[in-house]
Amino acid sequence: MIPGQDKELRLLDRASAEFAKKELRPAREENDKYPFGPFFDAVLEKAYSLDFFNLMLPEAQGGMGRGIQSLCVILYNLCQEDASLGGIIFTHAASQQVLLSAGAESLLKPTAADTAKTSLIAFPSFNNPGEVEPAVTAYKNSGGHLLSGSVEYLVLGGIAAKALIPARIEGKPGYSFFLTDLSHPGIQKSQPVLSLGLHACPAVDITLQKVNATLVGAEGGGDRYFNAMADQMHLAAAAMAAGIMKGSFKEAFDYCKAREQGGRKIINWSEMKMILADMALRVKCAEMMISRACLSADRREKGWEPCARAANLWVCAAACGLTTDGIQLLGGVGYMKDFGQEKRFRDAAQVQSLLGIARMKKIKFIEAMMR
Amino acid sequence: MISRREIKTHLNTPPRFDDMFLSLMAAPRLPKAMVKEIRRVVAIARKFNHSVVRPYALELDRKMQENPGFLPWDFVEKANEWGFYTMWIPKIFGGKGYSMPSLSYFMEEIGSACLAMANLIGVHYLGLASLSAAWNMKIMKRLCADVVDGEASRTPCLISLAITEPGAGTDVEEIELADRGNITCHAERVAGGYKLNGTKIFISNGHLSKWHIVIAYADLKKPSETTVSLAVKTGTPGFSFGRKERKMGQKGCPASELIFKDCFVPDELVLIDADQMSGFKRPVRESAMQMIHYVTAGTRAGVAAFAAGAARGAFEEALAFASQTRVEDKLLINHEWAQCLLAEMYKNYALSRLSYIESNYANGLYGSFRELQKKPMYYYYKLTPAGWLRKMFSSLMEKPAMTRIYRKMQMDGQTDAEILRTSGWGSLAKFAATDLGIKNCHLALEMMGQAGLRQDRRVEKILRDAKLLQIYEGTNQLNRLNLFNCLIAPDYPQAVVFDE
Repeated sequence: MIPGQDKELRLLDRASAEFAKKELRPAREENDKYPFGPFFDAVLEKAYSLDFFNLMLPEAQGGMGRGIQSLCVILYNLCQEDASLGGIIFTHAASQQVLLSAGAESLLKPTAADTAKTSLIAFPSFNNPGEVEPAVTAYKNSGGHLLSGSVEYLVLGGIAAKALIPARIEGKPGYSFFLTDLSHPGIQKSQPVLSLGLHACPAVDITLQKVNATLVGAEGGGDRYFNAMADQMHLAAAAMAAGIMKGSFKEAFDYCKAREQGGRKIINWSEMKMILADMALRVKCAEMMISRACLSADRREKGWEPCARAANLWVCAAACGLTTDGIQLLGGVGYMKDFGQEKRFRDAAQVQSLLGIARMKKIKFIEAMMR
Repeated sequence: MISRREIKTHLNTPPRFDDMFLSLMAAPRLPKAMVKEIRRVVAIARKFNHSVVRPYALELDRKMQENPGFLPWDFVEKANEWGFYTMWIPKIFGGKGYSMPSLSYFMEEIGSACLAMANLIGVHYLGLASLSAAWNMKIMKRLCADVVDGEASRTPCLISLAITEPGAGTDVEEIELADRGNITCHAERVAGGYKLNGTKIFISNGHLSKWHIVIAYADLKKPSETTVSLAVKTGTPGFSFGRKERKMGQKGCPASELIFKDCFVPDELVLIDADQMSGFKRPVRESAMQMIHYVTAGTRAGVAAFAAGAARGAFEEALAFASQTRVEDKLLINHEWAQCLLAEMYKNYALSRLSYIESNYANGLYGSFRELQKKPMYYYYKLTPAGWLRKMFSSLMEKPAMTRIYRKMQMDGQTDAEILRTSGWGSLAKFAATDLGIKNCHLALEMMGQAGLRQDRRVEKILRDAKLLQIYEGTNQLNRLNLFNCLIAPDYPQAVVFDE
């Protein structure tokens, strides 16, 4: 990512890169053992104290009032070392953006007493509820709404205090978002879902039975709010993928400089150079693409939305291919947990599904251009 | 229109007819009963998948994530009970004598349900292939008897191949690289045998195997001229297991470190060494490479069969998801783009299968499957009761002359063109099928979204498992170079491979 001349952005760039190296890299393999190992609470709280979680929240709501570029810079740096924390920040930011799109800022203001866990908002960030119909129904009651049904793969559902749930209101078209307290006795949570990647960004399945919830924005406005959020957050997902790509490239490059095969450094075999060159090219293209699309988005230039979605589709697909090569260059050790390559391979495939089915995102992209 | 000489000339001009149309050449020569046999094998595999593999695959994967030290003896015992560790051992050695090509079809089936479990069975045959590459009939008889006894006594006896070293992966699979590589596993000639020192890593089924075919070198400065193949039994003094690797996938199949410290291996367990190879028509260095080609031509086709299974497993999960899930108020299976994607995935797994079948044909015509696939031999072994065969051949196998005869037939009987054709096709099948396997996993994930990310929906496990296929049995990069070396370079004398 190119932080440009913005001083504050450069500060964020340095701080997040340093945080990733000091806090994420040393315990990457340990943290990845979750749910069969401890959760990295201390790292999460430290990241929260550095304000990584409220970057895009307006200052009036206690945030930093930064644009998508700042979030992308941070995610890019963190995900070079370990994308799980990036996944948590992404999910929380996605919830915030839905609430902001719905004009529900009042539900967001963090307090000084908040910790990461008390302020996090769980969200099914791998699903576009406009594609796969929500399995939760909302019923009106005197005090608001009651939710019943089930949500699969609710990201942060096991650790957050609140959740943003998409649901259909009985007898109304479309879907709506509801904010609910996850400690409600009507909520049953599964064990953490065992997933491909982002192990330390856990998800649970939940069932809800007559759970009190607050409607967010207008009835049936869910799709509108989701898309407004997704326009920006597609860039954040792309930044995560780009960070993973950069991490994979760096690890492969260093390994090839050190490892010998046939009496020569691997890096001196031209096929290895070719693969490394392909990786480096994709990293550079991703960095440039996201940086430019972020600039466009923050300036609200005309047509910034398709740029953001295009960047997401291209970078996320490139990350899957690149991380496959990233393992290949290390051979057998790349497949083992001792290096970060296998984790990056899994994380890249996981990130590609953020905000919905990858192929449907392509369909939406062209449909938007047709309109 | 065309003379006989012209036909010969034209068909021997690259691309050569014999290199291109293996199935066409092989199909008329196949014993008819092989088809029936393969149908039976596939049915057995499906029954095993239904009863054992599918109900346990996800649980084993989860168990291994929770406790990486677990060894899946429960599954190995089950496979042993079903007779899978002797099924492809020739009848003269006490096995069930199923034809080798049928193993690939079996592996695709098991691999489509769980690659780790396919490996728990299939790697045993990699060990057996390495054992048989030396054609040391006496030792083959001894080790196969152990496997057969293990089945009867319900104490599984598996065989592994130990070749990869900490500083040498690709180098040990290509003689051209061996002398320049960082090879350290030393077999020192001592009175009555060899003293083995060094470490082997990433040995599939290592912790579970009773016998290990260890490839070592008598002179570490000249490994290519001094390859030694040894059979080492678990429990031999000086041999111990080191760490068990923590892998991304195929978690149910352990990848082990084998440590040898002054481990004495007596002459009666030396499968082959440079002295014995010096009796072949080719120089020792070329014979060592021939043995590598001989084994990998078959085993790389086996990896391709695993990959076809992976490609198919990913397809089946995506298809099931598409047929049950409504996207934008319509079943996904009724979206045109999804139909095309599923067709693409079907194509990928069908092509993976065709690649290993073609490679098997090469082995049947020119390689390790050749002798037993000739119709008279095939039917002789098939129809003669196993007890008779054992009686007839048992004492013969002990005679050094039998080893000499088999080596003459197998090693010297294979022409250079046949070695290259079988090995080149093994590599082609391996990297083509394994790349397609990964491709299908990614396509399935692109279609399934968050459902595909969950371990309980299987696709994420298939992706983790399948990635290893692009690495073991020679990385896909090495296999591309081997294909070039075997099928392209021979016609270009100016081409130099592995010496950039």
